[in-house]
Amino acid sequence: VTTLDGVRVLDLCDEKGALAGKLLAGLGADVILIEPPGGSPMRAIPPFWDGASDELRSLFFWFYAAGKRSVTIDLAHDAEALRRLVATADVLVESAPPGRFPLDAFRAANPRLVVASITSFGQNGPYRDWKASDTVAQAMGGMLYVNGHPDRPPLRSLGLQAYHQAGIFAAIGVVSALLARETTGRGQQVDVSLQAAVAGALEHVPGFWHQSRLVHRRQGTLHWTRYFRVGRCRDGWVMHCTLGDWTSLLEWMKADGMDAEIDDPALEDIKTRQAEAERIFDALDRWAAGYTIAELVEGAQLRRIPYAAVRPPEALLRDPHLAERGFFVPIEHPDLGRSIPYPGAPVRLGAAPWRVARPPRVGEHDAEVLR
Amino acid sequence: MRPLDGIRVLDFTWVVAGPVTTRLLADLGADVIKVERRGSLDFGDRRGGLSGTLMRGKRSILLDLNDPRGLAIARRLAALSDVVIDNFSARVMTNLGLDYDELRTLRPDVICVRMTGFGLTGPDRDHVSYGPTLQALTGYTLLMAEPGGTPAGFGYSYSDLAGGNLGALAVLAALWHRRRTGRGQLVDLAQLEAVASLVGPVLLEGRSRPMGNASQERPAAPHGVYPCAGEDRWIAITVFTDEEWAAFARVVGLDWTHDRRFATGAGRIAHAFELDRLVAGWTSARDARETTAALQWAGVPAGLVADAEDLCTRDPQLAARGHFVDVATPEGRTVRLDGAPFILSETPARPGGPGPSLNEHGPEILSEILGMDADEITDLQEVGIVGA
Repeated sequence: VTTLDGVRVLDLCDEKGALAGKLLAGLGADVILIEPPGGSPMRAIPPFWDGASDELRSLFFWFYAAGKRSVTIDLAHDAEALRRLVATADVLVESAPPGRFPLDAFRAANPRLVVASITSFGQNGPYRDWKASDTVAQAMGGMLYVNGHPDRPPLRSLGLQAYHQAGIFAAIGVVSALLARETTGRGQQVDVSLQAAVAGALEHVPGFWHQSRLVHRRQGTLHWTRYFRVGRCRDGWVMHCTLGDWTSLLEWMKADGMDAEIDDPALEDIKTRQAEAERIFDALDRWAAGYTIAELVEGAQLRRIPYAAVRPPEALLRDPHLAERGFFVPIEHPDLGRSIPYPGAPVRLGAAPWRVARPPRVGEHDAEVLR
Repeated sequence: MRPLDGIRVLDFTWVVAGPVTTRLLADLGADVIKVERRGSLDFGDRRGGLSGTLMRGKRSILLDLNDPRGLAIARRLAALSDVVIDNFSARVMTNLGLDYDELRTLRPDVICVRMTGFGLTGPDRDHVSYGPTLQALTGYTLLMAEPGGTPAGFGYSYSDLAGGNLGALAVLAALWHRRRTGRGQLVDLAQLEAVASLVGPVLLEGRSRPMGNASQERPAAPHGVYPCAGEDRWIAITVFTDEEWAAFARVVGLDWTHDRRFATGAGRIAHAFELDRLVAGWTSARDARETTAALQWAGVPAGLVADAEDLCTRDPQLAARGHFVDVATPEGRTVRLDGAPFILSETPARPGGPGPSLNEHGPEILSEILGMDADEITDLQEVGIVGA
């Protein structure tokens, strides 16, 4: 029995909302991706397997569609097919501009239906008809302004994090609405805005404005708390940290004959280390230059100091810790004649494994679903 | 009503990631009891601000878990809770005798959520981490850089928000599962895996490079962040389609927008570098807010790069959604908090109150939930087991 066993989700999302269905599929819901007869436009989004543009091999589509079933419906000419599916569904997730789908009619036809809508700015309000990309949503949601080097433009995130947060909040809203339905017997609408989802994934930005009218700015790799900064070492970059066992760190440096500058009793106080961050990290950089990443991380973790390698995402594929936990799951792609490792559970629910499965071919499940 | 009315969460979490999970559960109506220690880190005003926004709507009890009597109270509370959650290193709750194997003897259908950096198994399970550590390990720090530039990464602990929000989803799913099967479970949330799962399709590609502000979705040009008039003012602009390009050209109204090289999407992408330079030349003398509106009303995705003040005081859209909420404190102040960033039409999530002061609800929790009388509570307070 999967976690969301028996929950049927119709997924009408483009890339803005695609993560919602992916998460619900991972939890074991039956997620049916509705595609136009030629296939979802998401199948044309790069990157592609082997690099060459090929709609059968979009890694972008594969990532977001893994574990979903595919049904083709020409929505312009066959609204009836969608209406029939709506009658069988618990959940409908969509990410079209407000007003594009007859959501009220769907809910009237199936009062138990939970409808989640992911839009750029929300179903109502002065900006409801404005448009966002992931980058525009990151800008207006407050994420962009605090990332990047101070002398360069603000920097967007790796990955579509505005879309991802919207997908997470939509999934949260959906399961909340399913739980509420157990009491009320009725579904409801979940209204997710990309902009608000970004604002809901900030840390210090709104809090310090509310508290002390402080506007935090971008400051390179120096974390806003001033306890973390990236430094160069012999073979790459490392994330320094001045939380953790300060005495052990100092003793390590002293043993290397590197102590003079920051062997200062005042720095035993965490608040002083925060205030003196630049001076400390400059000294740590000079010390770290003689070490490799592996030496620094191993030595620091032995001393309970949270150091880490600054490494590319593909390093995760070779990480022995993740390998032992089985984070990546090999998924067979018969048309490639091989399997590809897919990232698996973002969180492990002990009662049922996270579901990871091959992304569907266009209309692969037409016969079994629409029959 | 709210979806989690009647659900009790015993919350041992601290710093950011764990409190992000439990604040959403509180918004959804759960009774979240925050078990606190003396001298634990916070970020200033517990009622509002960052701390208040993390603790909104929770109840606080100060409990000495190093004393067996304090631990006994925690175990009695756990036996009466639907969800028990912590975000310590893996061994802390085991050492306290509060891990899943213990908790399920107190309450067989308990949902036990362990939010650690690296998970409960695997060779690195005892490694220590914070958000920036995990962002470094998962590629965000290295790849959030301009091509040829040095790494910048996030200026904050996005990982804590990602893991925290995914943690709330896991709790809700586990509650659904329990309602269907009657069974609780152990939830092993490795924040490393949570934030790794959000890296995106590049994980399937198996190779990566810094892309600066280029599009990571449908190809688009212009696509980027451009300077505006004033100090540190910027606008993000994305042109996906020919229709959006035509609208953009109408708003700009300059000759270069008719350059044949830019007439097609492929041409704009091939000449993106040149296009970026021209767009930046146009935006740099213009007001970010007015330009956002001009482009948006013409049909072009564009948005000013909002700073804290823009976000909290000058955004009519977030205001219309009631994203920020004013709540009254018991001292008669009003504090502003972030609310839940999604709207449920029939059973809305909302902050149930400000952040609690330390141990604000200690005595009431002991009497109301555990049925202790005033003398018992006073005795515990006098020996310092419970906050006074």
